[in-house]
Amino acid sequence: MSSAGIDKVRDWILGRHPERTELAADVDLIESRLVDSLAFVELVYTIEDAAGVEIDFDAIDIEDFQTLATIEKAFFA
Amino acid sequence: MDAVSYTAQWMAAARAQESEREDPLFVDPLARDLAAPRGFELIERYVGGGVLPFISIRTRFLDDAIQEIVAGSGIQQVVLIAAGMDTRAFRLDWPDGTELYEVDHGPLITEKRRRLDALGAEPRTDRREVSADLTQEWLPSLEAAGFDRNRPTLWVAEGLTFFLTEEQAGGLLQLLASASAPGSHLAFDLLGRAMLRSPFSKRFLDHLAADGTPWVFGTDEPEEFLTANGWKTTDLREPGQPGAGEGRWPYEVQPRGRRGANRLWLIRAEVVTD
Repeated sequence: MSSAGIDKVRDWILGRHPERTELAADVDLIESRLVDSLAFVELVYTIEDAAGVEIDFDAIDIEDFQTLATIEKAFFA
Repeated sequence: MDAVSYTAQWMAAARAQESEREDPLFVDPLARDLAAPRGFELIERYVGGGVLPFISIRTRFLDDAIQEIVAGSGIQQVVLIAAGMDTRAFRLDWPDGTELYEVDHGPLITEKRRRLDALGAEPRTDRREVSADLTQEWLPSLEAAGFDRNRPTLWVAEGLTFFLTEEQAGGLLQLLASASAPGSHLAFDLLGRAMLRSPFSKRFLDHLAADGTPWVFGTDEPEEFLTANGWKTTDLREPGQPGAGEGRWPYEVQPRGRRGANRLWLIRAEVVTD
C-alpha cells in the first residue's frame, strides 16, 4: 500500500510538469521549484488523500516535504 | 529611492511583462520605462508561487472594478492610494470630469513625473499628484489638491495592505470611511494568513523582509475585517475565479473554508453610512 501511495504523490507532481517524465526519490521539490508556495497546499491535500491522514497545517515540518523519499518516510512508512 | 519605491518598479516590470504576452490581461505601454532600474531584477529575486500571475490578475480585476464603478455610480473622484507606477490615468477610459488623485511619497512622484514627461505621456483625465507620507496625516494633502469629502469617492489600494500591520490596515480602512460620502466605494486586495506562515513561502518572504518591505498582514476573514472597519463587501473573488483571471491562474481554486489553503482576496466594497 505504501508504494502505491507515494506513486499517487509522484503522479500528481508529474501531472503539473508535463515536460518531465520521471522524478527520482531524492530530488529536492522546493529547490527545483517543482512545488511552489501556492502548489504546496495541493501537495498536502494529495498526500492526505493518498495516505488517509489529516495533516496539521500549523505544525508542518518542511523537512518532511523536501523530497519524495522524505514524504514517503513521514506519511507512508 | 527608498525600499517601497523598488516594489513600485517591481510592479511596473510585472505589468510590462504582462503587456508583452500574446494574450495579455491588459496593456500598459508605459510600464517598461517605469520599471527601471531594478524592476526586472526584482522579478527574478521575488520569484515565488503565483506572484506574477497574481499581480496581473489583480491589475485587471481593479481595472474592471474602477471602470464599472465610475460608469455605474457617477463617482467623479478617484483616489489611488500608494499609486506607485500606476498608469491608469493614461490607459483607461474615464468619464468626462473625473478627477484622478495619485497619492504617494514625494520622491516617487517626482521621479515618475520626470519619466512620464520624457515619454510625452498625456493623461486621459484630470490627473492630480499628491505627495504625502501615508504613515502621517495625509488627508489634508489630498484635500489641498482638490479632494472633496462631501462627494462620493472611489478609493483604490492595490498591493498596499500586505505591507501594513493589522492595526495599520484597519486604521486605513477606517480613515477612508471617515472621509467617504455616502455611495463611496473601495477596491483593493488582502492576503490570506496561510501565505504568511507556509514554510514553502519562506524564501520569497525572507527576500522581501531583507529588502525592507516585508509582507506583514493577512486575514482569512476578509468580510469580517471590512465590516469591523466601516465597509461592506460587495464583491469578493480569488484568483482563478470568473472575473479574476479564470484560465490564467495555474492553481486550483480551493473551496472556501478548506483548511490551510493559500488565499488572495480581490475585493470591492461600499462604505457603510448610518
